[in-house]
Amino acid sequence: MRIVETITLQELNGRVKSTLQFEMPDAYWVQAEISGISPSGQGHCYLELVQKDTTGRTFLAKAKANVWRNTWLKLKPYFEAETGESLKVGMKVLLQVTVTFHEVYGYSLVVWDIDPTYTMGDMARRRKEILDQLAKDGVIGLNRELEIPMLPQRIAVISSATAAGYGDFCNQLASNVYGFRFYVKLFQAAMQGDDVERSVIAALDAVAARMDDFDVVIIIRGGGAVSELSCFDSYNLAYNIANFPLPVITGIGHERDDTVADVVAHTKVKTPTAAAEFIISKVFDTAQVLEGLARRMGDAVTGRMNAETVRLERLAQKMPSLFAVLKVRNEQMLENIWNRSVNGVRNLLTVKNHRLELLEKSIAAADPVLILKRGFSLTRCNGHVVNRASDLKPGDRLTTVLADGTVESEIVG
Amino acid sequence: MKYEEAIKRLEEIVSEIEGGKLNMDKIGESLKEARELIKLCKDKLYETDEEIKKILETDD
Repeated sequence: MRIVETITLQELNGRVKSTLQFEMPDAYWVQAEISGISPSGQGHCYLELVQKDTTGRTFLAKAKANVWRNTWLKLKPYFEAETGESLKVGMKVLLQVTVTFHEVYGYSLVVWDIDPTYTMGDMARRRKEILDQLAKDGVIGLNRELEIPMLPQRIAVISSATAAGYGDFCNQLASNVYGFRFYVKLFQAAMQGDDVERSVIAALDAVAARMDDFDVVIIIRGGGAVSELSCFDSYNLAYNIANFPLPVITGIGHERDDTVADVVAHTKVKTPTAAAEFIISKVFDTAQVLEGLARRMGDAVTGRMNAETVRLERLAQKMPSLFAVLKVRNEQMLENIWNRSVNGVRNLLTVKNHRLELLEKSIAAADPVLILKRGFSLTRCNGHVVNRASDLKPGDRLTTVLADGTVESEIVG
Repeated sequence: MKYEEAIKRLEEIVSEIEGGKLNMDKIGESLKEARELIKLCKDKLYETDEEIKKILETDD
């Protein structure tokens, strides 16, 4: 019987453990992706780390990593403050680890530190990849090309009812100092966690189904300790926003880089309150346009009325002088007519006068007295002028008129 | 009538009057129309439209 040296499993694992400790005593900065994370009741945090190939489908390496309570208490808030994100599945991390081996639990890493800039760089790279893809697909600027209507009063809000942000938004709108009216309808969606992409897209679909009822869509969420914005760095969500038929305004509450959703949205503001202010300012601008038009209308009508009044007054003033001119003209005309008439009459009279004078002269020439004086005489018989001797007979008594008197005679033969 | 249409029509009326193209008989008519349009717009800005409220309250 051959004697073979045997050792117990515990001894074997112990050797592995001491070899590892001896060979790899240092701390390493290791790049990995989180594939599982579970905080323990004692305040520790257990991570599952993986490395995938370029297709993302095959694991190239896998390891458990433990963050002990004391480390986790410092590391968690530090990471969240730096990145605005909490550690979660799918996240790329750069961790400082030491290698351990436990006889019972096997190989694992102990996490001592984390470099948040690595994660941020990775998130930025992913955002860029998504944005590049959206640009390539020709949708990135589509929503920005839409015009916000003059009166964006009917607002579809995508948010969670419990979020403080939704209340802030509604209050801000309702208490606007101008007294503008707004109509808000909430379409509920998860604003953090894994369900954001699916539920926000579902809410967008619900709005799109009755898009004629709304002027704009607003996606808002209230603060919270950690922003958890990486869920808005989603290609599908961004694609839906970019293609949405109504302008989409995001107010998802963050201070750092814009999420992909913000980039493709029509307008991005930081907070729900700012989103309300934005809407109010749009309506204010519109109200100003109306006021301006009303004022211009008033001015134009007043101006026109004044101009017409002036025109009328000028006409009225012109009337007397116009009449005066007319009067003078008429008077002249009358005078002309008068003068012409008078002259006409005068000429006529002169002509007549002349003829009268001629008549007078011929009449004067025919005066019987003058004729008598020239030696002629007028003989009457029984009152009749005697023209013919044959009218007389012997015994007739004649009266002869001479220039200086009359002679009585009797015909004897 | 939509708000934007009302504003467009108002612009037209104001430009017509400003341009002095309208005769005085028509100014009265235009003024009346403009007043109605302004009222319509102001109502939309400042008065609650129960119909819109009702539409938005319904779910589908």
